Amino acid sequence: MKSVAEILKEIRPEFDFTASSDFITDGMLDSFDMVTLVATLDKNFGISIQGTDIVPENFQNLQTIEALLRKSGVQL
Amino acid sequence: MIQFRKVDEVFDAIQKTKAKASDFRTNFFPVPAKLQNWIERDELLGEVRDGATFFFRKDRDFFRFYFCAGSLEKLESEILTLSFLKNGSVATDLVGNETAVAEMCAPLEAAGFSRYAQLQRMARPAQTGGLAVSNLPVVFAEKADAPTVLELIENAFDRFGEQLPALYEIEAAISNRQIFVVKRDGKIAGLLFFETQGFNSIVRFWAVAEKFRALKIGSALMQHYFKTQNAVRRFTLWVNAANENAIQKYKHYGYAPDGLIDCVLANKMIRT
Repeated sequence: MKSVAEILKEIRPEFDFTASSDFITDGMLDSFDMVTLVATLDKNFGISIQGTDIVPENFQNLQTIEALLRKSGVQL
Repeated sequence: MIQFRKVDEVFDAIQKTKAKASDFRTNFFPVPAKLQNWIERDELLGEVRDGATFFFRKDRDFFRFYFCAGSLEKLESEILTLSFLKNGSVATDLVGNETAVAEMCAPLEAAGFSRYAQLQRMARPAQTGGLAVSNLPVVFAEKADAPTVLELIENAFDRFGEQLPALYEIEAAISNRQIFVVKRDGKIAGLLFFETQGFNSIVRFWAVAEKFRALKIGSALMQHYFKTQNAVRRFTLWVNAANENAIQKYKHYGYAPDGLIDCVLANKMIRT
């Protein structure tokens, strides 16, 4: 199973996600990328992230994405 | 139909729909500043239903349609109650990968929409060196250029298929130094309208006036744009998937499709 950082690196190889605390403000993820990321996270972790959770606050940085995964039932 | 008077009213309506959602569906990703502009200009109307909220935004001579629904089933049933879709000129769009878009297309088609155009997103990683530099002078558009910029964009792009800016948005973009132009004899021969946020930059519009084509003005604009966006790591844009000529040009500059599509639908009042 891939880590969140690895998945992000696959989706956007041009960015160093470990060096940013706000992916949205830094222009590294937009609302459309969130849709792609959610589909990849669902597949990778065998979960179904709720539509109500697809909001920028949950995709701001690695910690918030991992918190979202935990909320969706993933044990990290 | 209700008229939204405050940004908070819009977010409250969305939140109420979300609160009851079992499988939330939307094509509405509002940015507060943009919402504020629409509300100030009385452009945003809506219909609140049980388990779904619908928005209509005035754009030139038609409306753009957005929805928030608690589930696909709610979208399917509640959209059929909107009488405005039968009488007004309305366009909408769905963004996602092919599968996600196809799933949400069905209820819209049942409500009278048909596919009108498809846009595809293209992306380009930052590259170092290798780009030629043109001798043509490229400058930022000035405030007085706004009407001409709007005219060129409206002539070059389809108002239903692509979300064209209003004059006030062009004026704001000029003030924020987001529009490059090449001028010939004092007239705007070509423009490149872009938005850069952090490490990402999107080309919103790139156009050369018909009588100035084949003079390498488009190349000069694109080269200047790349040269000035030093901190950007990722360049993106949306292009009409049927515009093979534009796609080839973007590929020439290193852009490639990234799998995201924008399916534009229009009701029969637009198609006829």
